[in-house]
Amino acid sequence: MTDGHDLSEAQLRPAEAQDLSEAQRRLAEAQDLSEAQRRLAEAQERVVAALVAGAAVPEGFDPERMRVQASSLVAKRRSVVARLRPDAAAAAGPDLVAEFAAYARSRSAPPPDYRTDADDFAAWLRERGRMPDPPRKPRWWSRFLP
Amino acid sequence: MSEPEAGRRSAPGDGPGAELGVGIGWRAELDLSIERMPGVDFLEVVAENIRPADLPESLRLLRARGLPVIPHGVSLGIGGAEPPSPARLAHLAACAQALDSPLVSEHLAFVRGGGLEAGHLLPVPRTRESLRVITENVRRAQDALPVPLALENVAAIFGWPDDELTEAQFLAELVERTGVGLLIDVANLYTNQVNLGLSAVAALDALPLEHLAYVHVAGGYEHHGIWHDTHTTSAPQAVLDLLTELCSRAAPPGVLLEWDDEYPSDAALEGELSRIRGAMSLAREAG
Repeated sequence: MTDGHDLSEAQLRPAEAQDLSEAQRRLAEAQDLSEAQRRLAEAQERVVAALVAGAAVPEGFDPERMRVQASSLVAKRRSVVARLRPDAAAAAGPDLVAEFAAYARSRSAPPPDYRTDADDFAAWLRERGRMPDPPRKPRWWSRFLP
Repeated sequence: MSEPEAGRRSAPGDGPGAELGVGIGWRAELDLSIERMPGVDFLEVVAENIRPADLPESLRLLRARGLPVIPHGVSLGIGGAEPPSPARLAHLAACAQALDSPLVSEHLAFVRGGGLEAGHLLPVPRTRESLRVITENVRRAQDALPVPLALENVAAIFGWPDDELTEAQFLAELVERTGVGLLIDVANLYTNQVNLGLSAVAALDALPLEHLAYVHVAGGYEHHGIWHDTHTTSAPQAVLDLLTELCSRAAPPGVLLEWDDEYPSDAALEGELSRIRGAMSLAREAG
């Protein structure tokens, strides 16, 4: 700066210099934090993609453990879906594990929420003739259901 | 948030350190069982399963009897790279308010990445760098909640190659930096011992148990050498031994049984609560 407003620390009163270095420290910290967030986001994105979307297991991870974790996540989805859509679970019957695994493999990634997952699984079963079509009109008493 | 004083006896509402007793995770499928079950001192409810403006009748009834109810979140992902979602935090806060809860609990875990939902709790990389990010997330969550927050250790199937700290050390650092409370799941400690060879007793040694809010106990099963923490069966003796081990170091304000599916008879659940009380009193006798 050449216009006489140079804020070099030599020209500042000690308190102002302290404020400035405090501000610089905070700025540096915020930059560090956002860099750390960016790296963590990338690392977690790679792990989630490997676990639920069939991407390659990132370097350094035990592939067998990741495979077990991935199937554990599918089992978790299956149990939640079975609770949300007992009609779909009942339609799949004893083949629920195999049918849900096939359904999960058929899509590139799980949907954003369990409700959609449950409805998509029911639709997937229906397309394969494993589930009756839904009734055309809601029953008159359905308004009393929670 | 004020630091809880170690060993202080206090009423529900005081946060970590509040006396809770022995409890069970409330599930819609167990509503009648829990309402008539003797020896239940407090409850926990999965926050994602309730609407604060329209609480299940059973929970309202149990609250009216004076049982504390703790909202337990599973989808915040406080161990994620992104700051916790304000909407999810607002939901937890609304649950705590509607239930007049002494505290809220969540997990040291991440649950999504790159726009994809994992659908369940995943272990965070335990590096100094991720500790910085997660410390900031915990502070944000604490600022948004009307009651203290407690974080739970998770059951892991895999570990990160660049881990620098154990989960217990990582939690201890978070406690020191943020004053967050601890929800210690002894079944998860057992899971990590079986699956990852991490000593559960060493974890108890490293945890600042004076910040204990409460403890989780649950059962699971072994399949091909891997322990699956399913919450669908009776807790193995090894998990109850860990509870005794924990109680010999610090009297937990509360101990809660988690049972999530394949629900057994009321008598079987009451039996589990008795086993928990037995494991706790063994520590008192030995001490």
